[in-house]
Amino acid sequence: MAVLVDLTKCIGCESCVVACKLWNKLPYHPRRTVKRQEDDLDDTRWTVVQKKRVQGDNGREYTRFVKKQCMHCLEPACASACFSKALRVDENHAVVYYPDLCVGCRYCMLACPYDVPRYQWEEALPLITKCQLCSDRLKEGELPACVGACPTGTLTYGNREELLRKAHDIIDRNPRYVNYIYGEKELGGASWLYISDQPFEKLGFKMDLEQTPPSDYTRSYLTKVPFLAAAWGLFLVGLTAYHHHKENKENKEKQGGGKDA
Amino acid sequence: MRRLYREYHLLGWVYTLTPMRCLLLALVALCLGVVAVRLLTGYQYVTNLTDQTPWGLWIGFDVLVGVALAGGGYSTAFLVGGLRYEKYQGIARSALLTSLLGYLLVMAGLFLDIGQWPHFWRPFVSWGYTSPLFEVFWCISIYTTILTLEFHEVITERIVRPVHKYVVKALPVLVILGLIFPMMHQSSLGALFLIAKSKMFPLWWSQLLPLYFLLSSFFVGSAMVYVESDLARRAYGHEHEHWIMKGLTRVGGRIMAVYLLLKIVDITMKGEWNLLFLNTLQSNMFLLEMVLGVILPLGIVFSKLADRKYGLLVYSWLVVIGVVVNRLNCVFTSMYTSGEYFPSIFEFVVSIGLIAAGCILYSFLVENFHILGRRFARQVNVEKKDVRNLI
Amino acid sequence: MAREISRRDFLKVLSGTSVLGMGVAVTGCGRSDKPTMGGEGWLPEQYKGTGSYPAQVKGRVAIAPDNPSIVRDDEKCILCGRCIEACENVMTVHGHYPLPLKDEIACVHCGQCTLWCPTGAIAERSEIDKVRQAIRDESKYVVVQTAPATKVSLGEAFGMKPGAVIGGQQVAALRRLGFDAVYDTCFSADLTIMEEAAEVLQRLTVKKQELPHFTSCCPGWVKFCEYFYPDFIGHLSTCKSPQGMLGATIKSYLAAKKGIDPANVVSVAIMPCTAKKFEAGREELSHAEMADVDVVLTTRELARFLKQEHIDLNVLEPEDYDSLLGESSGAGRIFGTTGGVTEAAVRTLYYNATQQAPPAALLSWQPVRGLKAVKEARADVPGFGSVSIAVCHGLANVRPLLEDIRKHGSRWQFIEVMACPGGCIGGGGQPLSAPDNSAAVREKRIAAIYTGDTSARKHTSHENSEIKQIYEEFYGRPLSERAEKLLHTSFTDRSGRIFDK
Repeated sequence: MAVLVDLTKCIGCESCVVACKLWNKLPYHPRRTVKRQEDDLDDTRWTVVQKKRVQGDNGREYTRFVKKQCMHCLEPACASACFSKALRVDENHAVVYYPDLCVGCRYCMLACPYDVPRYQWEEALPLITKCQLCSDRLKEGELPACVGACPTGTLTYGNREELLRKAHDIIDRNPRYVNYIYGEKELGGASWLYISDQPFEKLGFKMDLEQTPPSDYTRSYLTKVPFLAAAWGLFLVGLTAYHHHKENKENKEKQGGGKDA
Repeated sequence: MRRLYREYHLLGWVYTLTPMRCLLLALVALCLGVVAVRLLTGYQYVTNLTDQTPWGLWIGFDVLVGVALAGGGYSTAFLVGGLRYEKYQGIARSALLTSLLGYLLVMAGLFLDIGQWPHFWRPFVSWGYTSPLFEVFWCISIYTTILTLEFHEVITERIVRPVHKYVVKALPVLVILGLIFPMMHQSSLGALFLIAKSKMFPLWWSQLLPLYFLLSSFFVGSAMVYVESDLARRAYGHEHEHWIMKGLTRVGGRIMAVYLLLKIVDITMKGEWNLLFLNTLQSNMFLLEMVLGVILPLGIVFSKLADRKYGLLVYSWLVVIGVVVNRLNCVFTSMYTSGEYFPSIFEFVVSIGLIAAGCILYSFLVENFHILGRRFARQVNVEKKDVRNLI
Repeated sequence: MAREISRRDFLKVLSGTSVLGMGVAVTGCGRSDKPTMGGEGWLPEQYKGTGSYPAQVKGRVAIAPDNPSIVRDDEKCILCGRCIEACENVMTVHGHYPLPLKDEIACVHCGQCTLWCPTGAIAERSEIDKVRQAIRDESKYVVVQTAPATKVSLGEAFGMKPGAVIGGQQVAALRRLGFDAVYDTCFSADLTIMEEAAEVLQRLTVKKQELPHFTSCCPGWVKFCEYFYPDFIGHLSTCKSPQGMLGATIKSYLAAKKGIDPANVVSVAIMPCTAKKFEAGREELSHAEMADVDVVLTTRELARFLKQEHIDLNVLEPEDYDSLLGESSGAGRIFGTTGGVTEAAVRTLYYNATQQAPPAALLSWQPVRGLKAVKEARADVPGFGSVSIAVCHGLANVRPLLEDIRKHGSRWQFIEVMACPGGCIGGGGQPLSAPDNSAAVREKRIAAIYTGDTSARKHTSHENSEIKQIYEEFYGRPLSERAEKLLHTSFTDRSGRIFDK
């Protein structure tokens, strides 16, 4: 399952932001001792809408609003980085966080290419926070809170293949759209798909991401480790045996020489 | 002649309290205060970490640098226990102690930098095996256990003596295990950054990152051993023979040459030569790390300078600093926009306090067990009031 | 057979298990993995829709954070969607321009959303502190004007029934707050009529290409026109609104008369209207680098202000406005209701055209009164001709009118447009006396407005003696050079901000 975001329809009402806060009981005025970036995700804002002013190809400036949240990648770097399995992919392809398993190492924050996971710096025992794609609602057959609240039809939830087909269809039929679906192929693909009439690089999207999922690199290394370790171990055993044998021979020679003398 | 230190005796245990050690104890006390605040209130008052800069001095220095430097133990252990270079036998014990203390400090530093510290044991039961950190976690846990068991050879010479013979019997197996595990976690620490390809500055990111970390941990090992034995010489007058040290450091030097070669080939294959000369913080830090930490030391150790104590000393410090800078570069310079993060005073207090604790433990153990040259270390007799020697 | 256990052993077992238990508790061994975070809150029931089908009204309108009139407290928002209902269906602003966006989201600052919001999340931008600060500043001469609609509604915030007339008490209350002078927007409403009647006559006789003539005292309507119907801008009355005219007059005529430096004059207005806050900030409504009006407080804000200062409207005796800018005719007083501007204008237009007093019918002109969406009327002026008139309130009702004019031309020569349903008495700054500011409440307020006319001594703007005085001493005559400079304004085509050009 995935969500299609049509950036041409967003008017910046932030119904999605309020819906997320309502559903997840996130505070509006949390106690703050550590600085946060304005207008960006944090431990009480699992989704934000960022206002961008872009210059179109025709030279005219436009106002656009961009919803930012966890991309729920098909091959999530955060889930692969988590060494206590506190981040997992559920049956609806939401990347879901299990706070009871979290150790608090923040490797997921380092690993995420979109800088999504945020931390509860003001807590004595902080947890990671990010959009959960309302995985509990999805299991009941309901829409994610943000999708359900959107009044302009910017957000659509559905099967990923169908949404991709729909998005391609929209782009084909309407020349104003940029011929690109952001999230289709990035890092192995994401569940949040964006279409836009303005170029994505002007809207603050990371453009230089390759198609290979980041977890592929760690996987190719980790799968080699047991073999390398075993091989090295065998080598050391062989070395020790060799030295042992040499010592025995030397000792025997010493004894033999002593006997003779 | 006035002595600047006092020896304390208690139930057969000795400890010498020098002015330097008083300072170290004070630093440890300060550190403990900050640790209490950190464990009770979290990160907010004690660190400068933010969402954009989640890993800081404690991971960058205490863990990454700590593991690299503590790895000195295993490289020496390999030379002694593996290749049976008998000539290095003498330094094996001090190398082992350095390693053990280093890893204990790493674990302490790591414990302080996990948000849910009561959950620290989770990965033992919930296996996130796709993560290099899982490998590192298990490996370091097992390896520290092995080191502790290996160190029992030294300890059981004095206390719990009946166990000694069992430890000696187990030693060969322990030594082999103790040579497998470090290879894995040293390289896995490098593998940590493989996943951050889109975020790491390209000069550092490479598919060879695990190999780079492994090689650098190996050659920094011999340099670290030299640095520590130099400090021990100043404190206790104990000295390893120069030709042994020269041999040891030259082995490290050869590994360093391989490392340099690999980097050159790698950068060429990736087509990144132009990135070296952009005159940005990233480019300059990379050049610093390579020139100061690899190229210059190579020049020293394979020249006539290696015959002099001073030459090896400079070489060792350069290599150590180079690896420190490399690890810090991997965590900060390559990952964060420059100037975003600088550790807070409390982060420094903890890191320095941990090192101070290590130094104090080292000096205590070295005075009470046969580690330096198989005898108890004692302070050099101070004829001239030379404070330099009182460490 | 039971085995005896020593006390020591027993205590060992006990302490062992308790230590184990504590360990389990501290490390959380015993609990099963709690699933994810979040999901413990609520959403309004109407969002239980599956798939991608939009279900019912939901979400909210967009409000720019720098909107001068309206602010929203997200913490109170329940995403009920009533603001969308008000803005899209009652005012036809939201959703009536094509997406994607161009420069901005359209907002005419009418404030109907503040009336419809059930939790008070959407409210006017509070400027009470600015006024309090100005009053406390000894060096400032703080002047306040009150709109006609406030005189019949402020009482509602103090427990009175809708339609209670408390204009005099309002003056007393404002004096208690510490204002240096209290003036009447109904005075400048008369002034507006003087200027506008002259302008209309000019358009009816000479500048026929500028017909139909549209009133422009409603800033919500003006911005709506600038956004959606810029082709009609040339037909708007060039007169400022009564608020604007009084502000300009205060900082020129009054300041001179009182010997005060206009830079030290702080001009405050009490309005039933949130759009007046936007209007006060318009560049065109300033003179010599000074805004005509510095701060606008809505009726609700004034009520809050009074309560903060422990002033109870219920116990005050009515007082009179300060003279010079305080006298008002019945014509000026009926501006607060839909049809009021028209009736007032026609009375003076009749006089200007015939030099005779208007007939009694025009002093209680029923065709333009009431809550009907579009009211049509014809004013027969002997010796001149007849003027066909339309009176419209609620922007949803003006759209079909304007579309019709675009297609077929206008059969009316004078058109009054009020953005808010019912006119200013239904404005976005009015007390929240009933859900949706019901028609019943509006009717009561309107009835009270007309009593202000019937009880007045004079019923036409041109009879107002202070008006006569100000023209004699200062403006000369309507549409004079000085009048053009201080009492007239221009408009901006804003359509390019929401439409492709």
